[in-house]
Amino acid sequence: MLKKILFKNSSTFQFLFATIGAFIGLTALLLSVQLILDVKSFHSNEEELFGPNSVVIQKKVTKLSTIGLNSTAFTKRDIEELNKKPFITDVAPFQSADFKVGISEVEGDGLPHFYADMFFQAIPNRFMDIDVDWDWNEDSEFIPIVLPRDFIMIINYGFAQSQGLSQISEDLLMQARLKIHLEGNGQKKEMIGKVVGFSHKISSILVPESFLSQANEKYGKGVNLDPNRIFITTKDNSYGELDQLMNKMNLDVSESAIDVAKIKTIIAVVIGIFGIASVLIMLLSLMGFVQYSQLVLSRAAYEIQTLLRIGYSIEQIVKTFIRQLSVIFGIITFSAIAIMVLIKLFIVDIWLTNNGITIAGTSIFITLMVAIFCFLLFIISNYLNIKKTVNKLGAAE
Amino acid sequence: MKLEFKNVLPYPLVDYKHDKQSVWSSEFKIEFPQKVLLNASSGKGKSTFINTVFGLRKDYSGEIIWDGKNIAEFGMNDWTNLRRDTFSVVFQDLQLFPELTIWENLELKNALTNHKTAAEIQVMLSLLGIGDRKDQITKTLSLGQQQRVAIIRALLQPFKLLLMDEPFSHLDENNAALALDLIAAETDMNNAGFILSSLGSTHGFKYDSELKL
Repeated sequence: MLKKILFKNSSTFQFLFATIGAFIGLTALLLSVQLILDVKSFHSNEEELFGPNSVVIQKKVTKLSTIGLNSTAFTKRDIEELNKKPFITDVAPFQSADFKVGISEVEGDGLPHFYADMFFQAIPNRFMDIDVDWDWNEDSEFIPIVLPRDFIMIINYGFAQSQGLSQISEDLLMQARLKIHLEGNGQKKEMIGKVVGFSHKISSILVPESFLSQANEKYGKGVNLDPNRIFITTKDNSYGELDQLMNKMNLDVSESAIDVAKIKTIIAVVIGIFGIASVLIMLLSLMGFVQYSQLVLSRAAYEIQTLLRIGYSIEQIVKTFIRQLSVIFGIITFSAIAIMVLIKLFIVDIWLTNNGITIAGTSIFITLMVAIFCFLLFIISNYLNIKKTVNKLGAAE
Repeated sequence: MKLEFKNVLPYPLVDYKHDKQSVWSSEFKIEFPQKVLLNASSGKGKSTFINTVFGLRKDYSGEIIWDGKNIAEFGMNDWTNLRRDTFSVVFQDLQLFPELTIWENLELKNALTNHKTAAEIQVMLSLLGIGDRKDQITKTLSLGQQQRVAIIRALLQPFKLLLMDEPFSHLDENNAALALDLIAAETDMNNAGFILSSLGSTHGFKYDSELKL
């Protein structure tokens, strides 16, 4: 009954306006929070191998380098210079095999017969973010290797077709063993290798550093070449700076490798602006609600004063208002969360999947906390406002 | 329970010449239970008296002491509690909720203390001749009927002092007498007292004492 008298003069227009504003604002806010969290967890398949934000860079091959006048190798000074850049967190040159490598199938493991000349490279273990045991020692059962993704494409769409062989899947290749042929220094050896991952970034066979060091010693010519490819890790959202540096130093970076970094940066900026806008909408709608309750209170001034005169307490009246607003804003918050989840599941996630971007750990926990925070902020600010106004009315009688 | 006035003078009445027996600018005590008539012509401050004792007006000099305590020192919470179980009031302008039905108006008050049962409220309505109107919207009632609702509302709580500001101004003598009987009975039941302001008529009732303004 208290509700009936206190809200009898409430304006539906004002209320509708504030409700829609709060709903849109909160939905937009939650959506941008969730998207920012999702963007942070963007990763491509590469990142499963190398961790986030890692890029392979090399010097551009020019006409001069082809005729041997311009080296594509990185000197020590080049590497030091890269190391000094604030947005680059880690730099490591590739270690290359100094001997001949070939791979072929192991009979009976389900692969068609093939033989390919290959090239081994290694990067420090700290760059390898891989589930399997990447370390290698003399007792290891097999050499873990990461193949270039193009390799399987060449086998399936070139080699297999032209030779009338069956195509193989990534899974099959990862289950099968491979024969590794090492040759150099007058020695030959066959070892067993196993594919543990595929990479776009590295177009040679990646093996553990410990293995390559030993093999180089044994089969290598003992020449220490300057590396011509470097593995770097950058800070989040530093795509722009990396791009500038690439241009300045005449460096090359595989486009696909920076795609995710690029997308992350761009989306982060767009969502950031969207997020700021939604915070503003939220604050405006909060003000709208405060004004709405102010209006309701001033229209119910007679009722409030009379209630106080017949023995109702300020707390009882304030509670009636807050209970009502809690229900309204509870519904708003709940619907905003529901809409946010629907948009995320049926629009954003599907779009991302179609564009080859996977999201790790899509928890909405933080977004829910933000929603609860907004709810509390709303209730508390309205509570303080209503309490102040009712007190004033009580004192004015 | 004792109500004391010590040199009380409302600011709006400062320039007005008061009689020797007037409650303004004098010292007096009323011990309750006692039924008091506050008789004065218009403009002498009857409503001011009621509203000041009820804590609604604070624009006066002097001290009003209730039960040994200066009422000027009561806070909002004290007044809330006093208005639930110590002071009850019938306002001159009634202060009902016009959009609510009679029953809702009464229920709103009774809900605070559950002083009366629904059956008891029904009996009171019937006694004052509006028993068949309880579901009518209050603003559609005549002023006399509304006045009776306000009187019943004032009785739906425990009280020590019932303040009534011209409660029978829209009632005929017969209905006023019925209402006054009910009020007196309830007052006795609460072992309480009342102060009833009137424009001169005693409504044929024998009061314990009389105050002048």
